[in-house]
Amino acid sequence: MKQLVKKQGSNICFAVIVILIALMPVLMNSGLISTSMVLFLGKCIAFAVVAIGLDLIWGYTGILSLGHGLYFALGGYCMAMYLKLQETGGKITDFMQIGGLDELPLIWRPFQYLPLTLIMIVAVPAVLAFVIGYFIFKTRVKGVYFSIISQALTWAAYSIFIALSPYTNGNVGITEIKTIFGKIKGESNQGNLFLLFYVALIILVLIYSLAKFLVGRKFGKLLIAIRDGENRTYFSGYKVSNYKTFIYVLSAVFAGIAGAVFVNFNGSITPSQMTISYSITMIIWVAVGGRGTIIGAVIGAFLINLCEYNLSSGSMVEIWQYIIGAVFCITILFFKGGIIGIVKEQIPAFIRRQKNSRTHTEVKQS
Amino acid sequence: MKKKMFSKIMSVLSAMTIGISLTACGSEPTASDSDTVKVGLLHSLTGSMAISEKSVRDAEVLAIEEINSAGGVLGKQIKYVEEDGASEPSTFATKAEKLIDSEKVATIFGCWTSSSRKAVKPIVEDYNALLWYPVQYEGMESSKNIIYTGAAPNQQIVPAIEYLIEQGYTKFFLLGSDYVFPRTANMIINAQLKNAGLEVVGEEYADMDQTDFSAIISKIESAKPEVIINTLNGTGNVSFFKQMSEKNYTSDDYMTMSFSIAEEEVATIGANILQGHLVSWNYYQTTETDKNTAFVDAYKAKYGNDRVTSDPAEAAYDAVYLWKEACEKANSFEVGDVVSAIEKGDISFDAPEGTVTINGENHHLSKPVRIGEVGTDGLIHEIYATEAVEPDPYLTTYDWAVSAGIQPLE
Repeated sequence: MKQLVKKQGSNICFAVIVILIALMPVLMNSGLISTSMVLFLGKCIAFAVVAIGLDLIWGYTGILSLGHGLYFALGGYCMAMYLKLQETGGKITDFMQIGGLDELPLIWRPFQYLPLTLIMIVAVPAVLAFVIGYFIFKTRVKGVYFSIISQALTWAAYSIFIALSPYTNGNVGITEIKTIFGKIKGESNQGNLFLLFYVALIILVLIYSLAKFLVGRKFGKLLIAIRDGENRTYFSGYKVSNYKTFIYVLSAVFAGIAGAVFVNFNGSITPSQMTISYSITMIIWVAVGGRGTIIGAVIGAFLINLCEYNLSSGSMVEIWQYIIGAVFCITILFFKGGIIGIVKEQIPAFIRRQKNSRTHTEVKQS
Repeated sequence: MKKKMFSKIMSVLSAMTIGISLTACGSEPTASDSDTVKVGLLHSLTGSMAISEKSVRDAEVLAIEEINSAGGVLGKQIKYVEEDGASEPSTFATKAEKLIDSEKVATIFGCWTSSSRKAVKPIVEDYNALLWYPVQYEGMESSKNIIYTGAAPNQQIVPAIEYLIEQGYTKFFLLGSDYVFPRTANMIINAQLKNAGLEVVGEEYADMDQTDFSAIISKIESAKPEVIINTLNGTGNVSFFKQMSEKNYTSDDYMTMSFSIAEEEVATIGANILQGHLVSWNYYQTTETDKNTAFVDAYKAKYGNDRVTSDPAEAAYDAVYLWKEACEKANSFEVGDVVSAIEKGDISFDAPEGTVTINGENHHLSKPVRIGEVGTDGLIHEIYATEAVEPDPYLTTYDWAVSAGIQPLE
């Protein structure tokens, strides 16, 4: 039993989270929680998926990307373009007409078909991340320089999306869309909502398993080796840049999938999902949850978002951002391992100290 | 032992996660109980839009408190629930859903930017809820579940251009921020000027956060317009006007007509820079009605003497009173009943800007249009005003707009 918990602690914890989330629609049916809560948890599932990707590159490989909002939004836009065309029946949209277009632009054409859309959700972030990653890692740009480049690229993409408003609807983004399973609001469409919710949950389980699978083998050890001693890994004969490019592309794909899931629950996507501040928020989830643990990313994404959701209203409405900020600062300053670090290291260490001092005084007394 | 503890703590932790989520919804709340009725305020209180939306939110709270001290609505005190949209459209969507579905509010007063309204629109429609939107906007929209208390284009943009044409201006330069309001506004203005046989000598768009306007200013210099139609928003205005004044250009060199500069923005940019320039709104702090004197006094008494009232703040103030009126006519807080009372077309309010009435068909207000000039005192003074203008968000009553095909697809 002890061995099981020791080895599988994080997996057990993940299973508990998944079971709890899976119960939510049942609770909703019995009127204990509201539909809006279920929809919000759906968004949190998407956030957890992107957080897992960030943990792979930051927590395991030591690449701090401050621009994952870009891939998240790209996946989201791919999905939203398909859903928008479902709404218009393949015809051009109102913002295209205002922008002076007469027919569906070429870049929108693939999104008339669901299979192509699903491919694009993976392919667009993957190709972009590969091009960026290949050149950056090949030239051995790393550390803070990589972070700055990732920010700049995100900013550039944001500006492009605003400027190309006939194609992207500028900063209003793509709105008034249903989900991939049709309408989900209202009593009669509850089946669709549950279907969407459980599909999202299954995606989370699959992504988590894939991440766990990867970090559990030699590959995972190599990522950690790259993080802790990149030069030594080079000298040991590994092509570090290939590994880095691969893991960067993979995390971009996770972000793209997350964005696509998010759009279904959110009903719109705007360029504000690809801003730098949004990307940094994602980093906060991973940092607070605990870097380099996968489960930490999942816990962080759920916990921080649920806190935000509940804090940013009522009496806390003007100070909630300071609270989130303070939590982040305290985590970085005192609890580098985040929540997982506290549970796994700080608390056991504290108990050990207590025990030691007790035996110490007992020895003294006798 | 330790490891067992680890797993225990882990499960406690995950239980906490869910626990937090559950506290949000606790017991089943309803819109109104025996002596209160709940409404939602949904504005950005953090982020880049907070500075603008704060004044709107303050005006709404003022109206709610006034109504409460006068006995409430249908004998019930209004209780407001605030949510922060954090200047982020998807947060607006999430929070609108939370207000409607978890908090069960009777109505929502909220949004400022078009992007936040567009994000909230499908949600209020899905839940058949009611949103009161207090800001002038680009039109081309009319939702059954939204009441637009700001100006439609034909109550701000079109009359302003008509005024300029009457004044004899012939060469126009269009300058705006790059987003939906300026783009749609300029599409309308282009059609209107073309119909009048007048010339647009340039059309430029600046990024939302652009601070360097030297390139645009040199384009203006070479195009030599008589008047600049300015739809810049937010910080862009500050940079643009400061850089124009650094070149010693005043309203005598290049007159501007602005659609997004109200009293608050004049205070930020500086009255010495803006004096003599034109703006177009439905209300100014200086508007001379008895209602307005009381409104300005109450606003300053509550929030401080240095605060100014503006068109969006006044429209938000009206929204709360109009909702009260509609509820009383319907004798109900149910959205369906309130909307059908509104659609009879006789919900009106004696507002600071003059009497406003909700148009039952398109859910906009009929309101007077006022062209104003910025004075040295930092306030805006009316130089031309119309009677109440009926709202026409799709510009269907203007032949030139119809023939130019300015219609949304549907």
